[in-house]
Amino acid sequence: MNRNTPHSGLERTERLLDLVPYLATHQGIPIEELAREFGVTKTQLTEDLYTLWMCGLPGYTALELMDLSFDTGYVSISNAETLARPRVLNRDEVLALILGLEALQGDADSHDTELGETISQLVSKLIGLVDTSVPQKVKAGTTALSIQRAVIESAIHSRGSVVISYHSISRDEVSTRVIHPLEFSMSNEIDYILAFCELTTSYRTFRLDRIVAAKPSEVASPTSPHLDSVITAERIPLVLNVGSRLRDVAERFNLDVAPQALKSGTTLKVESFTTDWAMREIMSFGGEVSLESPQELRKSLQDRALRALNAYKGLV
Amino acid sequence: MASRKNERLINLTIALLATKRYLTKSEIFRTIEGYEGTAESKERMFERDKDDLRRIGIVIDVQGVDPGFEDEPGYRIHPDAYSLNLGELNGAEVALLSLAAEAWRGAALAEPAQSALVKLRSLGIASDFDALPNLSPKLNVQSHNFVPLTRAIADQITVSFTYTSAQLEEERRTVNPFGLGSRQGNWYLVGHDKVRADTRTFRLDRIVDQVEFTAKKGSFPVEPTFDVLAFLDSTLFDKRQIAEVSIRVGRGHALRGDAQIISSDDEFDLCRIPYSQESRFVDSILWHGDDAIVHEPIHLRNKIVERLQALVSAHE
Repeated sequence: MNRNTPHSGLERTERLLDLVPYLATHQGIPIEELAREFGVTKTQLTEDLYTLWMCGLPGYTALELMDLSFDTGYVSISNAETLARPRVLNRDEVLALILGLEALQGDADSHDTELGETISQLVSKLIGLVDTSVPQKVKAGTTALSIQRAVIESAIHSRGSVVISYHSISRDEVSTRVIHPLEFSMSNEIDYILAFCELTTSYRTFRLDRIVAAKPSEVASPTSPHLDSVITAERIPLVLNVGSRLRDVAERFNLDVAPQALKSGTTLKVESFTTDWAMREIMSFGGEVSLESPQELRKSLQDRALRALNAYKGLV
Repeated sequence: MASRKNERLINLTIALLATKRYLTKSEIFRTIEGYEGTAESKERMFERDKDDLRRIGIVIDVQGVDPGFEDEPGYRIHPDAYSLNLGELNGAEVALLSLAAEAWRGAALAEPAQSALVKLRSLGIASDFDALPNLSPKLNVQSHNFVPLTRAIADQITVSFTYTSAQLEEERRTVNPFGLGSRQGNWYLVGHDKVRADTRTFRLDRIVDQVEFTAKKGSFPVEPTFDVLAFLDSTLFDKRQIAEVSIRVGRGHALRGDAQIISSDDEFDLCRIPYSQESRFVDSILWHGDDAIVHEPIHLRNKIVERLQALVSAHE
């Protein structure tokens, strides 16, 4: 199947063709809603409708032209049977739906065999629509966070609260708490939830992939619902000396540096919210990264390494 | 694009869809509005229009009107090739397809997912979300290279790009792309690296710039049976090796995911943990300090001890 290359000037042609079947099944839709659905301004959409109004079967008299009415702010169409069925899906559209379905499949309860069966059937129908092997070659692994996300999304909608089990990486503990989720945000392909946390009575961000379980809670509105009271924890400045594995250091400490600026043997300043997390990260580099300052952390990092080493000595 | 050109394209589509027999060029010029000027300019217009319709995925069928006597070919669009046919769909299936499209909100395939959604809604089948469990999958891939790479995979086009090496150096790589897959929240491109003459894996977020197509369609043979997730699982995530690790009670949650507890005392759980890449596993053991102590295999244990000694001396 051919594909539309972006900005080929044909987006409008495609939109005109796709407007007809949409209108045929959404007679009387408000013009603003239609513009939103097609991602264009009301002015652009009105121009589209005028263009369609001039189109029809050869002859081009009132008998052959499509009939559109939209002067009341609500749009209807008639005499448009030829174009009334939606167009075939293109390759990117099919791929988007298949990957979305596979993500659903991965997240769904594996015991719900009926749902699993329905999804598989839809996937094979979609594969049959395109003459390409791409759906077999592009595969999303499962994230298995769908249930947590759904619970939190519905709490955001209903301004409700959620009980979560959260895995705190820096303390390496799983704790249970009630949160009032406010919004999702994403950074570096990781989803975060901004929420008011009843356990710490403050606004916190939570990583979705560390929410081990989530269910709706009965706790009413938060104690302090004002966002301006967001507590920004103080960051601890650290100085590191990096021997090798520069890419890993840049990624884990979220450094926004030009790659050329980081060379083996470089001393660099980073920041961390918790000393515990920072020390664990440095430990994981096994001596290829060292902490230069603050001094007291440098000492306690060495103590940690010694404690672990002693545990091995005890085993011999 | 001018409205007149769009009008002509829509009128041509309608006429070719509505006709039961093939229309010759002279019939098209005579009956369809918009073909004006000299015979030559009409001809040019029509050639461009056909290309444009094909570029947006419309299949125009061409046939010699009377192969024995006449040269003039005829044209039509088969309604079955033009319109979306997913067979019988019920409300629950339409709801599933909508959820699949929604999974792309804010991500790489958001646009085709939205246009697919518009086409699905144009079928006029009401979605039945109540028939589904509460699920909300999310595909997080942000890379602007995702769509170009899926096309390169589909059309077997060799690509080149700049890649960040483990030492944060920018390297130029030239790759025959086989597949794209995600595991543990990251997306990977797998392909044949032409310089290294081997199959290699590239993390999408480490591709620095825009992927370039360096050859034409079909520049390398298809790998019909290539399974990207199986490849990732057998290389980066094979989990074929097993370690025996003492994990402090109430700690080491990140390690416990796949762990099987063999025995426990007050202080430690003795666990068997499958792992894939040794270097990554060493990092995560070190991260846990004296909360995770490796017993077996011996070479792993020796490596940890060596690393801990390096940590101690790096912080003298």
